[in-house]
Amino acid sequence: MNVIELNNLTKMYGKARGITEVSFHVEEGEIFGFIGPNGAGKSTTIRLLLSLIYPTSGSATIFGKDVVKHAPEIKKEIGYLPSEVFYYDNMKVIDLLKYSASFYKKDCAKKIKELAEMMELDLTRKIDDLSLGNKKKVGIVQGLLHEPKLIILDEPTSGLDPLMQQRFFELLENENQKGATILFSSHILSEVQRLCDRVAIIKEGKIVQVEKIRTLKENNYKKFKIETVSKVPDELFSRLPGVNQLEVKGKTISFIFRGNINHIMQKIAGIEIANLWVEEPDLEEIFMHFYQREA
Amino acid sequence: MNIMIREMKANLKSLLIWSIGVLAMVIAGMGKYAGMKGTGQTMNELMAEMPKSLQAIMGTSGFDLATALGFYGLLYLYLIVMASIHAVMLGANIIAKEERDKTAEFLLVKPVSRAKVISMKLLTALIHIVLFNLVTLLSSIIMVERFAEAETVTDGLLLLMSGMFILQLIFLLLGSVVAAVYRKSKKASVISTGIMLVLFILSILINMTEKIEMLKYITPFKYFEAATILNNGKLEPVFLFLSVFLILAFTTLTYRFYQKKDLNL
Amino acid sequence: MNMYLHELKAYRKSTIIWTLSLIAIVVLFMSLFPAFSRDAEDFMKVLEGFPEEVKKAIGLSFDTLATILGYFSYAFLYIKLCGAIQAMNLGLSIFSKESRDKTAEFLFTKPVTRTQVMTAKLLACFTSLILTNLAFILAVLGTVSMVKTEEYSGKALLMISGSLLFLQLIFLGLGVFLAVLLPKVKSVIAVSLGTVFAFFMIGMISSSTDDEALRFFTPFNYVNDYYIIEHLRFETSFLLVGAVIIILSVLTSFLVYRKKDIHSV
Repeated sequence: MNVIELNNLTKMYGKARGITEVSFHVEEGEIFGFIGPNGAGKSTTIRLLLSLIYPTSGSATIFGKDVVKHAPEIKKEIGYLPSEVFYYDNMKVIDLLKYSASFYKKDCAKKIKELAEMMELDLTRKIDDLSLGNKKKVGIVQGLLHEPKLIILDEPTSGLDPLMQQRFFELLENENQKGATILFSSHILSEVQRLCDRVAIIKEGKIVQVEKIRTLKENNYKKFKIETVSKVPDELFSRLPGVNQLEVKGKTISFIFRGNINHIMQKIAGIEIANLWVEEPDLEEIFMHFYQREA
Repeated sequence: MNIMIREMKANLKSLLIWSIGVLAMVIAGMGKYAGMKGTGQTMNELMAEMPKSLQAIMGTSGFDLATALGFYGLLYLYLIVMASIHAVMLGANIIAKEERDKTAEFLLVKPVSRAKVISMKLLTALIHIVLFNLVTLLSSIIMVERFAEAETVTDGLLLLMSGMFILQLIFLLLGSVVAAVYRKSKKASVISTGIMLVLFILSILINMTEKIEMLKYITPFKYFEAATILNNGKLEPVFLFLSVFLILAFTTLTYRFYQKKDLNL
Repeated sequence: MNMYLHELKAYRKSTIIWTLSLIAIVVLFMSLFPAFSRDAEDFMKVLEGFPEEVKKAIGLSFDTLATILGYFSYAFLYIKLCGAIQAMNLGLSIFSKESRDKTAEFLFTKPVTRTQVMTAKLLACFTSLILTNLAFILAVLGTVSMVKTEEYSGKALLMISGSLLFLQLIFLGLGVFLAVLLPKVKSVIAVSLGTVFAFFMIGMISSSTDDEALRFFTPFNYVNDYYIIEHLRFETSFLLVGAVIIILSVLTSFLVYRKKDIHSV
């Protein structure tokens, strides 16, 4: 079953682009990564899903229900952690958590305690006086206290120290094993690589690709580095389809290749080489390729 | 319910300040009356002959300042201005603040519909303006009674306060409409108080000349004037009808626009 | 200099809007003067039929009021109201915006002293108020000379309209003082409107009851327009009080601002 489904979702801000015809789906029980550079439309997409803003055209469903029409009902089972957390003034942490819990018709006291202990959060402090990282922790507890079936995270790790990040990821994996589906938006690839099963890449408001992390990493891409005996013309590889991030430094040529590996091997066989490396690129390098493709 | 309790608390301090303000206003205003008693009867006669514009400029506007209630009529204008400012800012603020303080990302991802959020908030605001009105009513009754001689004042005061309550409702909802329609939440209270001030100045201008008398339907400040209410012993049906219309229209618009609004975070 | 220009630019739009509104009020009120002066003439005839003592009782103030200067003074009351809100808003907003817009970390980590920041901001406020007043006085002189029916004292007109700046400086000072003193100003308009209206109402009570002592408590009554019309000078004691308030509020603000803890988000 698909927990989230987006069908040609489009949002225009007047004439300015928000996102255009975004379609993808998130299956039950998976951790789905949503990556793209700043301003690509990640937050816009998430806010559309939460019906904080409304689509210009297209539609989206969560748990099979339309996000606009059934918003309150859907939200019973959603936990959301925004990238920047702001809360009401003059409230203690516990007051805010209780207020948050009061929206869900279940007893969350135990879960609050459990989460707070895990994240080392002092419940008696005033929110105003908390540091950014601690406010973030309040956000995490607040988003998870009702044991939601779908957790939506918008660049959640900023402000958390590495130890807490680690613990937060464990927490997420834990919730995931208990059956929660997670939509995780980020521009930090290592996080996504560590956590997610599948990933959608968004750029300039459009989905560039949806792929399994493993496929993305292992199957399609190869990183080539060739040292030639004598200098070869630049065009030799740049004309070849599937070659990206071509760099030529004297006699060293490097690029990322995607496509039929035989084609590239034949090409290489035609020149005299001094040395050859073929490696698995890490996600960062693949990602750069999406960022730069149209630049 | 939880939203209401939260909102009650959040706006409690401002309600307290405003209540103390209006209390001080009534007490100080009526206190002044004690030292003012005994203006001659001939003056009142003369005042009746005076054109409205002159009355306005002389600062009397058809009140019999010799009676406690008449003097209170003078005060009433300022009371309704206070009540309107309180109401319009409350209305704008209670809707706009979730966006302004960026807590919309907290509240509106909870399993409640926007309609319910507005209902809760407007209901809370309603309680607040009722409380404000009661404080004014009670303090007025006590203070005016003290100085009244033979006259019965409670009926008149009740009428005046029901007029004020309607004004409060109109301005509360005006504030909420502006907050629901306008994209920039920070500006909502500025714009709605701006509109209120323009309407207030307009009502003053209308006093100056008969020529723009027709404009009185535009500004709620002309709907319930102490002099007419006290002389006729009732609220004018035309303006009552207009008020009901405005209240209904503003309520509908608030719901309509807020439900469709793209939150600006 | 950069801070001064930055602030001036930041408040350019609001200065223009306020200036235009002030001018609009002047033009609106003064355009109604011809109708008013006809009313006044009619009333003069009615007055003829009343006994001598009544005429005397009302006559003196009426003679002053029914002239163009008297009429202008009446309109000026509401101009003062708007002007005071503008000034207080400006002072309150310019000194609280760093904590409100969370730009404190930007500004206070630059190589400038708090005193420099404060001076630049005060100068920007001052400049914008001066510009408003220049435009306002020009508008007054223009419209008054267009609608006049008889000769009037240009000096008195200039003195009255010039006193707007004095009033604005007092409220600017109060605004700055409050902004520096209060830990967090969330809604500028709520604080400024509340304060200004409170003083405005004290002023109205004071003038409708002729209470001299009460005048000291409201900047609105430091300059008595009718006194100017009759004597062509200000009342020194009130000028002094106003000046003391301005100086004290600015000085204490400087002292507090230099030592104030700036809290981050």
